[in-house]
Amino acid sequence: MNSYLEIKNITKRFGDFTALHEVSLAVEKGEFVTFLGPSGSGKTTTLMIIAGFEKATSGDVLVQGQSLSGLAPYQRNIGIVFQNYALFPHKTAADNVYFPLQMRGYGRGEGLEKAAEMLDLVGLKGFGDRYPKELSGGQQQRVALARALVFEPSLLLLDEPLGALDKNLREQMQIEIKRIQRRLGVTTVFVTHDQSEAMSMSDRIVVFEQGRIQQAASPLDVYHRPKTRFVAGFVGESNLIPARITDAAAGKADSPVLGNCEVKANGAADGQDVTLLIRPEHIRLSREPVDGRKNARMQVDTIVNYGDNALVMGRVGDLNMRARVLGRDVIILEEGDECCISWLPESVFVIEQ
Amino acid sequence: MNRLMRILGVLVVIFIAAPLVIVVPMSFSDARSLQFPPPGYWLGYYYAFFNDWGWLRPTWNSIIIAAATMVLTMILVVPATFALVRYRFYGKSVADLMMMMPLAVPHIVMAVGYYSFLGDLRLVHTHFGVILAHTCLAVPIAFLVLSANLKGFDRTLERAAQSLGASPVRTFMHVTLPILRPGIMISALFAFIQSFDETVVAIFISGRNAETLPRKMFDSIRQEADPVIAVISTLLFAVVILALVAPAGWKSIRKRLRSKTPPAAILGSQ
Ligand SMILES: Nc1ncnc2c1ncn2[C@@H]1O[C@H](COP(=O)(O)OP(=O)(O)O)[C@@H](O)[C@H]1O
Ligand SMILES: [Mg+2]
Repeated sequence: MNSYLEIKNITKRFGDFTALHEVSLAVEKGEFVTFLGPSGSGKTTTLMIIAGFEKATSGDVLVQGQSLSGLAPYQRNIGIVFQNYALFPHKTAADNVYFPLQMRGYGRGEGLEKAAEMLDLVGLKGFGDRYPKELSGGQQQRVALARALVFEPSLLLLDEPLGALDKNLREQMQIEIKRIQRRLGVTTVFVTHDQSEAMSMSDRIVVFEQGRIQQAASPLDVYHRPKTRFVAGFVGESNLIPARITDAAAGKADSPVLGNCEVKANGAADGQDVTLLIRPEHIRLSREPVDGRKNARMQVDTIVNYGDNALVMGRVGDLNMRARVLGRDVIILEEGDECCISWLPESVFVIEQ
Repeated sequence: MNRLMRILGVLVVIFIAAPLVIVVPMSFSDARSLQFPPPGYWLGYYYAFFNDWGWLRPTWNSIIIAAATMVLTMILVVPATFALVRYRFYGKSVADLMMMMPLAVPHIVMAVGYYSFLGDLRLVHTHFGVILAHTCLAVPIAFLVLSANLKGFDRTLERAAQSLGASPVRTFMHVTLPILRPGIMISALFAFIQSFDETVVAIFISGRNAETLPRKMFDSIRQEADPVIAVISTLLFAVVILALVAPAGWKSIRKRLRSKTPPAAILGSQ
């Protein structure tokens, strides 16, 4: 059974530089997939290869089992929302949205009617006769989205579409994009370097680093069961502790700093060097050690209070650790204090690489 | 500091406007030669200009030559600018240099060159000869204006158009060209003005047949200081003002039309 979109062993070289190494991915119909990764990790390059603006050095892209390799960008029927929106400045919002229909031979009357419906769907009823420069950033974003969707594309690609918006508007647009995507059921690839955006919007997150896919999994899996140190560090805040598995069957590991820890070995073998992941929100602060939890003493360096929650950063031995706790729990603490941190054994996740 | 800048600005404006303050009244003068301030006013020299073939023929020549220069220049410059701005190719820097060359060489040197070169082709004293020479001079200016526009053109707009189903040709017709149109028009206007304004080369090669207006004015002022020259200057000034104001006026008219008849899409959605 083929997936809706298949990316097969794509390698992309620019001169001597390899931007993508054997990238493969399958996306199901209607899925919302997010490419997450730092700047320069190859997300845009992958998107441009799907869209046809870049040619892969090797590998292939298939939609519904059909290779796209022989098709020019304008023959691919793929909707794209660019970071700067790329609205045509000489056309009104309605004419921008009408453009792809015009290219497909729709008459002006019928085309503008469809365009108006689509503008309505993105919440811009009555804005059709405005020119792009007469619209706010968020409104331009909506026009770009309407334009990319009005011709019922086989895929919707969005390249960091929310990067230019301020925080409130960005959150609003995240919800909006998600709502419209669900409503239309369009298979979507969304690119971002913002991990919280990826967490909140996606059915699946594909984490890129240096031209390779590190992990492709559901947001919760990526967060709680990261495959690599890089993923653990990039998605959310993390404490990464070097350790060695001493007894995989009994769930024992030894860390130079923390001593013996109870863990779930997760397929790692006896004697294997691993990394233990403990999310900061799983760490509790106390004055004295707590029974039933793994305890360690931490020297508190910095407390950042956000009101509802607080970030406590400090050192256990020579290891930097951070805990995220409720705001009221740090009242007892001051910078420079020593305190006890503790966590449950099941909060420790073993990363093999 | 701010006040100093403002005074400086006012001085510059006065300096630029001063010739106009002198020339415009002189065109309505009733003196027998150029004289300021005019002793009295009448429209006699306007009448003289519009009734003297000695003036109208060079005016007409200039318009024809400038228009043809503009068309020929744009035919050459539009593709050349796209090639030089967007593509890398072997010999590009040489091509760049050749484009700008006529700006660096003194006109008098160019004029001597054209005189002998066009002479060999039997094109001296013909309209076509002047058009060719003026095109050489207009190309770098038109290129400078257009390439600045093209460099500022956001190419993701073209990608967007293609992703929306427009072939490269339709992308050019529907997106690239309309967005660059103001730049192309300004570039063409500069080419026109460059030719209309050009004197040195015209003096050398236009002869009796293709005599241009600046050449005729030069001859006239040398011989008799005919106040018709002030009339021509005033008319030229009026044309330039009109050319500058027309686009803004056209825009506001269009805007008014648009707000009166909203597109069908909006009516449909309400
Ligand atoms: N046209 C190009 N020529 C050379 N290198 C490029 C080109 N496009 C992208 N790259 C390089 O490929 C890498 C991946 O780029 P990109 O896909 O844009 O990353 P991302 O979108 O994840 O930030 C970067 O190191 C970038 O410098
Ligand atoms: Mg990018």
